[in-house]
Amino acid sequence: MLHAAGLFPVMLPLLLATVDATPAAASGPLEGLKQTFEHFGVEPKLIFFQLVSFLILFAVLYRFGIKPTISTMEARNKKIESGLKNAEETQLRLAAAAQESAQLIKTAQLEAQKVVNEARKIAKDFADKQQGEANIRAADILAKAQQAIELEHKKMLDQARGEIARLVVKTTEQVLARKLSDADRAGYNEAATKELTAL
Amino acid sequence: MAANKKTKLLAKQLFKLSLINGQVSAGQVEGVLGYLEKTQPHHLLALLKLYHRAIATELARSHAVVEHAGPLGEATLKLIERTMTQRYQRSVTASAKANPKLLAGLRVRVGSDVYESTVAGQLASLSSAV
Repeated sequence: MLHAAGLFPVMLPLLLATVDATPAAASGPLEGLKQTFEHFGVEPKLIFFQLVSFLILFAVLYRFGIKPTISTMEARNKKIESGLKNAEETQLRLAAAAQESAQLIKTAQLEAQKVVNEARKIAKDFADKQQGEANIRAADILAKAQQAIELEHKKMLDQARGEIARLVVKTTEQVLARKLSDADRAGYNEAATKELTAL
Repeated sequence: MAANKKTKLLAKQLFKLSLINGQVSAGQVEGVLGYLEKTQPHHLLALLKLYHRAIATELARSHAVVEHAGPLGEATLKLIERTMTQRYQRSVTASAKANPKLLAGLRVRVGSDVYESTVAGQLASLSSAV
């Protein structure tokens, strides 16, 4: 309604400009204006009722057309604004989440690297320990084998010595059995008797 | 059948009855055997075995077996007999037994005692020492 009311003063100068300048009577501008209106067929009585009907029409249009449309447009604008605002907030949250995620990934990577290094160290220590133990066991086995060989060698020597002694004694027995004469034996018996009686 | 305590005790008593002056007497042994034959006590076989072992041991203690290689004179044998009698303080008789395996020397056995001075014994000692 404000728009309609504002248009009329704007239109008026235009209307006046189209009117031929007639030699106005000495009645003045009012008379000239009245003649202009009569020229265009504008009657004051009708203008008033036209204005009233225009205002009524405007009021109805405003009430049932313009206002709801404006409301709808405003609601839509609000929705768009809120949507844009949500989008901005979401974008900000997304950025924050991405940053946080990147940080978590970085932390996890560091942790994983730490765990891997720890595992490597433990594995190396274990391998070294196993190696050391294996070396000790090998040395022990070697020493025991050496001892067994020496014992076996000693046993073999003892057996050989025993066998040689046995053979020597056997040979001596056989030689003496053949070589000793009765006189030798008698002499030995006498010596044995002396030994027995001397006990 | 294994001998029990009573049987062993009886065998010991019978053995003591068989000695006269610490020596086994043939007459006493005959008497003991006659008694056993007559009375037939329990576990007779085991009793006889124990009695026999005791008598044999006692006889072995009074007898010297002189094993020799080569000739052995009678005088040497008597000398050994006297020596053993003196040592054991009882009458010991000696008998000679030839054993060529000894090579030379004498081995005298009295009961479970053995006195040896032989070449074979010395060679055996040498062999075991080596």
